[in-house]
Amino acid sequence: MKFGPKAASVAAIAAMTIALSACGGGGGTPAGPAAAGTTSLTLASLQDLKSFDTSVAHIGHTMPIFQTAYDSLIQRLPDGKLAPMLATKWEYNADNTVLTVSLRTGVTFSDGAKFDAAAAKANLDYFKKAKGSDAYQVASLGSVDVVDDSTIKITLATPDPAFEYYLTQAAGLMGSPKALGTPEMAAAPDGTGPYVMDKASSVVGSQYVFTKREGYWNADLQKFAKVTIKILPDLTARTNALVSGQIDGALLDPKTGKQAEAAGMKLNSSQVDWQGLLLFDRDGKINPELANVKVRQAINFAFDRKTILEQQYLGQGTVTDQVFGPESGAYVEGLENKYNYDPAKAKSLLAEAGYANGFTLKLPSFTGYEAIVAVITQQLGDVGIKVESVPVPNANVVSDFAAGKFAVAPFQLYQGEPWVAINQMISTTALYNPFKATTPELQAMIDAVHNGGTNSAELAKDVNTYVTDNAWFAPLYRLNQMYYTSKAITVTPQLQQAVPSIYNYAPAK
Amino acid sequence: MLTFILRRVAAGIVVLCAISFITYVLLYFSSANIARNILGEFASQDQVAAKEVALGLDQPLMTRFFAWAGHAITGDFGTSWFTAEPVVHALENRLPVTLTLVVVAIVLIAICATLLGMAAAVKRGWIDRVVQTAAVVGDAIPGFVIAIVLVTLFAIQLKLFPATSSIVPGAGADVWIASLALPVIALLINGVTGGAQQIRSAVIKQLEKDYVRTLRSRGISEREILFKHVLRSAAPAGLTVLSLQFIGMLGGVVILEQIFALPGMGALAVQSTTMGDIPLVMGVVLYTVVIVIIVNLLVDLINGWLNPKVRVS
Repeated sequence: MKFGPKAASVAAIAAMTIALSACGGGGGTPAGPAAAGTTSLTLASLQDLKSFDTSVAHIGHTMPIFQTAYDSLIQRLPDGKLAPMLATKWEYNADNTVLTVSLRTGVTFSDGAKFDAAAAKANLDYFKKAKGSDAYQVASLGSVDVVDDSTIKITLATPDPAFEYYLTQAAGLMGSPKALGTPEMAAAPDGTGPYVMDKASSVVGSQYVFTKREGYWNADLQKFAKVTIKILPDLTARTNALVSGQIDGALLDPKTGKQAEAAGMKLNSSQVDWQGLLLFDRDGKINPELANVKVRQAINFAFDRKTILEQQYLGQGTVTDQVFGPESGAYVEGLENKYNYDPAKAKSLLAEAGYANGFTLKLPSFTGYEAIVAVITQQLGDVGIKVESVPVPNANVVSDFAAGKFAVAPFQLYQGEPWVAINQMISTTALYNPFKATTPELQAMIDAVHNGGTNSAELAKDVNTYVTDNAWFAPLYRLNQMYYTSKAITVTPQLQQAVPSIYNYAPAK
Repeated sequence: MLTFILRRVAAGIVVLCAISFITYVLLYFSSANIARNILGEFASQDQVAAKEVALGLDQPLMTRFFAWAGHAITGDFGTSWFTAEPVVHALENRLPVTLTLVVVAIVLIAICATLLGMAAAVKRGWIDRVVQTAAVVGDAIPGFVIAIVLVTLFAIQLKLFPATSSIVPGAGADVWIASLALPVIALLINGVTGGAQQIRSAVIKQLEKDYVRTLRSRGISEREILFKHVLRSAAPAGLTVLSLQFIGMLGGVVILEQIFALPGMGALAVQSTTMGDIPLVMGVVLYTVVIVIIVNLLVDLINGWLNPKVRVS
């Protein structure tokens, strides 16, 4: 290849960039829009919300934006414990089908309307009827009855071990009953939350500005006078905004994280997602080979997880053989190291299954996953499984999975509460179980979790053991979520959430 | 002159209709999963089907296109399928940012390219060599690399400019200038040298013409010859390059807008296209096509004003 002037100049500029960023560490003054004792908080969100209508609220990156303006019935503390919020007390009946909730009194919405039992009922009914992206959270909700002005009775059609958790998420957000479902609410939030939106300074897709609500019921959740959330989907823009001091917090990645650390930013690491292969086709509908558990186990033995993690994410994570996280309650220590890298064993398992000559798998490849697909292709190739990658536009990824177009797919899923995780990827109604694979044995275990009440997490260990032993997935590692903050603020990561809840931030002392 | 303008406008309308139709057809073939994307991964198949009916996604292509076109003619572009924001409102907010960026950049490029190109053509020597070399280098370096270098140097190291835009509705001129300075400089570095190169060769060509010798023999000052006669004849070549650059920039600023987090059309176009937000994509396409048609018309008019021969043909 000829090294022409174009390549030379690109190389020169690249070298210059590296030189410039390399000397970034030495710049004595700390970056940050404000010093300790700041009264404003500016964060970057990598996702924009669809609208401020509570029915489209969604677990994940946009949750803190909703939390700024809306309170939920129950608050989820950073460690996952539940605490009173708009609900002061809640209690199940003996068979976990009726939840009696006492509500806080003297709280009003932005538009002046009163929060009471009728408002709470209107919200739950609306959330169920509106069928938003998190409508699964109220799938078990039967009816809501007003007992008195400050008490409601929620009757579940079937027990739901995750229902209290859902009331800390989208399903628990309370909007003004007058505004529910109106275009006004879609454009500007109308809740009881710690901050109110400054409409004049906010612009869809760019930034949302909030100011402190006067007379809020809990000053502990209201640590700033002003909160600004900038929508910065581009990683370079987020990194530049953080290191130049325009924002106080942003989610980066291992590579840009180094730049942020050089500029004196603080890493707040937590593990939220696991990454690996979803072996959808356990019944062998597309690839008959996958119906054999030995083939699925062989796939698990084929991966050198530690090296992949090191190369792909600079070692920012923990290798794992199970899909349930350590804090979920369903984690089983003994399952780790079950599938240590052993290509010879993988080959012999394939031979035992009658596929000594290997077979071919079609794997979807999409933006952000190209590198990992390349590694998977190579490592599965080493044990005799030939991978053909099929490019899929990002917008179609989830729907193609759900439609059962692929037998196997690389993906990354958050490690939620056991019942949430089971309904996400293991039960027959789970989105990530497109072929509705199950066995009577597994179904009995799932039913036990379903009806297990407070014991459900413990019972979910059986489900975890079953799907790991039977290689329903080929998990590789849990990834570190690289959330960086400036020196002006402190933050506590939120368990099982992509970014911290808005309540977890405080000015630095 | 009037018939010339009318003919161009009529041709523009035909182009507009053709492009809307082609875009719509292209979107039609990639619209299989839109309802699922809107409702999210947890929505049931029934909900998805109901949403498809509500959006008219179950209708055949022509029915959908004419339903959209019927509203679009009256200026009703509908609302975004994802954010429920009216399309016109979304564009009104973002178009000024992108247009300001591109127009300011193109005006600066025009001025600098003319001065540099003429200096190179007239003085030759080292100025010429610098312009020639810079033209190759400037064209070779991708705009985003220049942008990243500028951000690292002027925003992060020297803290002279904001690293990402702080433009909001009602922001003052100071905010606009501070936020747009670096992206404009990036566009300028990337575009000026190509323009200068064109002006240089056109001016050199004109300087060799007989009429220049005649003018000189009449004792007319060199300055007058250059600015009144030579530049006028050399301008069309430069104008054509500038108009092409302008149109190229409308698409090319997408990456710059991402790096500087500018709330412009680029981010909107990328986002709405990947998600399949058809009303928004169509809005972005139509507005862009209209701008391109207007720019081409303006260039033709300026060319006609500079050179009467064009008007006759």
